[in-house]
Amino acid sequence: MVYEFRYLAPKTAAELAATLDDVKSDGKLLAGGTDLIPNIRNGMLKPRVVVDIKKYEGAGRLAFGSDGLTMGPAVTINDLLRSKDARERYPVLCSCAHELASHQIRNRATVAGNVVNASPCSDMAPALLCLGARAVLRSATGERVVPFSQFFAGVKKTVLAQGEFLSMIVVPAESAGTSGNYLKLKRIAGHDLGIVGVLMTRQDGRIRFGVSSAAPTPVLVDTVSEKDDPDEAARKVLAAVLPISDVRGTKEYREHMIGVYARRLFTEVK
Amino acid sequence: MFDDIDASELSYVGKKADRPDMLEKLTGEAVFVSDMEMPGMLHVQLKKSPYARARIKRIDAVKAAAMPGVRAVVTGDELDYHIGLYIVDKYILAKGEVRHYGEAVAAVAAETLEQARAAAEAIRVDYEPLTPVLHHMDALKPDAPLVHPDLGTYSYIQAVFTPKPGTNIANHTKLRKGDVDKGFEESSFIVEREYSCPSVQHVPMETHVAIVQWGRGDKVSIWTSAQSPFTVRNLFCHAFGLPHINVRVQVPYVGGGFGGKAGIGVEPLCAVLSRKAGGKPVKFQASREEEFSLLPCRSALTYRIKTGVSSEGKILAQHMTMYWDSGAYADYAVNVTRASGYSASGPYEIPNAWIDAYTIYTNKPYGTAYRGFGHVEFHWAIERHMELVASAIGMDPLAFRIKNALKPGSITLTGERILPSTGNVVKCIEEAARRINYGRLTDEEKARERKTGWKIGKGVAALQKAPAMPSYTATAVVLKMNEDGSVLVNLSLTDYGQGTYASIRQIVAERLGFSIEKIKVAFENDTDRDPYDWQTVASKGLLMSGNAAILAAEDMLKNAYAVAAEVLHANPRDLGHDADRVFLKHHPDHGVAFAAMAVGYALPNGSGIGGPIIGVGRYIAQGLSNLNKETGEGNPALDWTFGAHGMIVEVNEETGEYRVLKVASIYDVGRAVNPDIVRGQAIGGMIQGLGTAICEGYIYDQQGRLLNPSFTDNKIPTAKDLPLEIECAVVETPQIDGPYGARGVGEHSMISVAPALGNAIQKATGAELMHMPMRFEDVWRAIGKKEPVDNWITKSPVGSCRSAPELRKRD
Repeated sequence: MVYEFRYLAPKTAAELAATLDDVKSDGKLLAGGTDLIPNIRNGMLKPRVVVDIKKYEGAGRLAFGSDGLTMGPAVTINDLLRSKDARERYPVLCSCAHELASHQIRNRATVAGNVVNASPCSDMAPALLCLGARAVLRSATGERVVPFSQFFAGVKKTVLAQGEFLSMIVVPAESAGTSGNYLKLKRIAGHDLGIVGVLMTRQDGRIRFGVSSAAPTPVLVDTVSEKDDPDEAARKVLAAVLPISDVRGTKEYREHMIGVYARRLFTEVK
Repeated sequence: MFDDIDASELSYVGKKADRPDMLEKLTGEAVFVSDMEMPGMLHVQLKKSPYARARIKRIDAVKAAAMPGVRAVVTGDELDYHIGLYIVDKYILAKGEVRHYGEAVAAVAAETLEQARAAAEAIRVDYEPLTPVLHHMDALKPDAPLVHPDLGTYSYIQAVFTPKPGTNIANHTKLRKGDVDKGFEESSFIVEREYSCPSVQHVPMETHVAIVQWGRGDKVSIWTSAQSPFTVRNLFCHAFGLPHINVRVQVPYVGGGFGGKAGIGVEPLCAVLSRKAGGKPVKFQASREEEFSLLPCRSALTYRIKTGVSSEGKILAQHMTMYWDSGAYADYAVNVTRASGYSASGPYEIPNAWIDAYTIYTNKPYGTAYRGFGHVEFHWAIERHMELVASAIGMDPLAFRIKNALKPGSITLTGERILPSTGNVVKCIEEAARRINYGRLTDEEKARERKTGWKIGKGVAALQKAPAMPSYTATAVVLKMNEDGSVLVNLSLTDYGQGTYASIRQIVAERLGFSIEKIKVAFENDTDRDPYDWQTVASKGLLMSGNAAILAAEDMLKNAYAVAAEVLHANPRDLGHDADRVFLKHHPDHGVAFAAMAVGYALPNGSGIGGPIIGVGRYIAQGLSNLNKETGEGNPALDWTFGAHGMIVEVNEETGEYRVLKVASIYDVGRAVNPDIVRGQAIGGMIQGLGTAICEGYIYDQQGRLLNPSFTDNKIPTAKDLPLEIECAVVETPQIDGPYGARGVGEHSMISVAPALGNAIQKATGAELMHMPMRFEDVWRAIGKKEPVDNWITKSPVGSCRSAPELRKRD
């Protein structure tokens, strides 16, 4: 429903933190708006204050340093895909990014927005989980760092507390060069939410699986070892997920496809 | 109207010609109702039912009416107008009871859309929820709730339809040909199967939209995105008891319809709001979600077919029962049932046939016309059935089709004899098969199979359709000559994207012998300006309006010749003309320019003769008749257009995923007046057909709430979903009464795409698919011979991402 809300666009991170502290539960953060605006239109959300996270200095910063890759909350999916360094050092991140929605939506949608909504079908979450990425959470009272493996708390829930915002995503330098592939099952070849999505990464003998649309939250599986055979790998992945039946597919088919993808990736990703 | 003119002698017909609307549409200059603003215009928000079936106990709109900017609030109670095309069964706003999720119960018109929305939210509706009847097969059970307990009191077109009061049957169409029992007795094989498909949406780019002004003296002006301005006017006048002269309907450029805008839509709602708001113009534009559940969809179908075949593979008898899901209102669904009933076997000769086709009311959004008018749905069944019968009797499906195809001398289900000029379905099937190398894999395809591990299969499916229209359907075209000798064409067959106006322009230029640049077809239609046309539906536009255009051109020339004869002191029989002038055939230098006569000719002494030159062409369908209600016998078909698709698909047997590698589509169009437009129709319809074949369909929860009323979970194909290779070609068996031999092909490209795909998937994997769409999961289940999943009225309405219904707070 259309209604009047206040729109605020803080100019510094400190001002943003203060604003969030001030508006409390009345406020919602606006990044790309590809989830917030449809939810406001559907009547599922009705924030009194919309706080734009894109306008403070540094919000759109994508940089490489000794920490690795850092991305501010306004970095869009296409900003990431346009970065030659990102494509070369973190190909896994980019293959997941490329599967997200359509080019037009990727122009608006942000990497941070894709994870703070904690949608089970987030395409960026599997990559961030497998690459050992960390979330820097900032508030008026300080800053804390949470690995993405501890970031998701339930269906559409994260560990972000009231007054906190995701100020930076850090993809560690040591995970640069990780190889992998993301398989996403969709209803059409064009843009779609996944029926299931499975990412496998391999680095220095360490295997990880990131699975989307298969449980209340995106799932990280790090129990698979190189010594396993493909069936054993698939069993371990399936043991970690809990898919449901919905309009996109049944639990039975989801489990089958997660198994198929896990076996295929285990064989193919070198 | 067919003149057997060799293509080499034609200047425009059969040649390349641009669409007259090309520039306006490509530059965004074309104005659609969506773009239009009127001075003082009000905006509408509806209050809609969250229930599939409920008694409306009370509506409290007092607060809403007093809110800022609100100029009118209307509820069903204060309106007593029934609307309906064939069965008059619908109120403008629900009254007493809501019959489907998303039905409108109240409406607000306000100065801004935001004000209207705020007011609609403030309306309180008390419902007493009632148990809905959702599946059309459940609606036939003796204890099923009645969607329309008052069915017996409704008026309907008695010559054509048969409602069954006291049941949920809105119409029962029967067809009886030959002796079915005897046919089955003589058969060596009998195969019986059941097929089905869910409701789908047209999804035109421009959603339904209208602006209506109820002016002084009950003069009503309507601007609407509609296919049929005269049908809007006629049904509107019937609903409100207004003289036709009081109502003017204007249709500017239209952003797609596909049948969803064939009849009357949101115009009456805007009209009652405008009247209550003191005559201010009122605009309503449906949201995409409203397009899915307030406005009509395509009916779901369950189709049982039992076929008796001789030892040589000739069909001897066929028993066919169609169950069409009408949803809450009959709208076009009853006529879809009728038109599908008499075409139910597809392009095959069935000597002994028995058909019962039922239209069934349920508590769901209602069904209407959609490109193919039932033929997409029942060809899914019949062309899958032909494949399954052939494999059951050990015959190649292609050979089985050709053996049973309609040929000259064959008798159709309704008793019509097929002539050599009717069209050639065998040629279409053979050509489609040839273009995909049917029956074998090429070396390249075998290599691809080895490389990908995916199995390649090839399938063919044939199709037929005749226009579904009243037997006396008529149209007219008026040509008006301008001062410079150019010509304006007025007709009210609309061009809402299909490209007919380009062809009409070619026909007029051809028949007049004028340069095509001198011919303009007026795009915006207006019932106060244009001559009558019944509806822009049924793939009959080019044939009927094309003929009227030929007659109008001949009339225009006759009128010009009469003036020229007087100017030149000649007998009209001795006159000829070129693109600019009329002259004496035996003294070509002695002539008079069309421009000099266009608005009246002035003699040297100043006195005038003639007058503005116009040409009028009227055309009415000929030789058609109502069908006998007991046997189905009669002549329903203006023309039969036949066609076939060949499809190559590759399937992953482990996952059920598949990709369409090639589609070859062939139609017997009689004559391709504009080959590019035929190609556009062929490709567009084929992709639309792929959409309903691969993924589209309404999914409900058990309370009858639509779970996928948007593009989030009701996907349609995108550019990425195109087949790797597309071929289209025509067969040209001239239609004797078609303009230059042409017949319609607007809907046909969408028909039989799904069964061609299903047949190819079966060939590749052995999967026996009986339900459309064929989602990857459905294919996976069929390959593994698992129980098919029927989740169209789902038992597990839980969403993993965004479509969790318990979170839905839509009103």
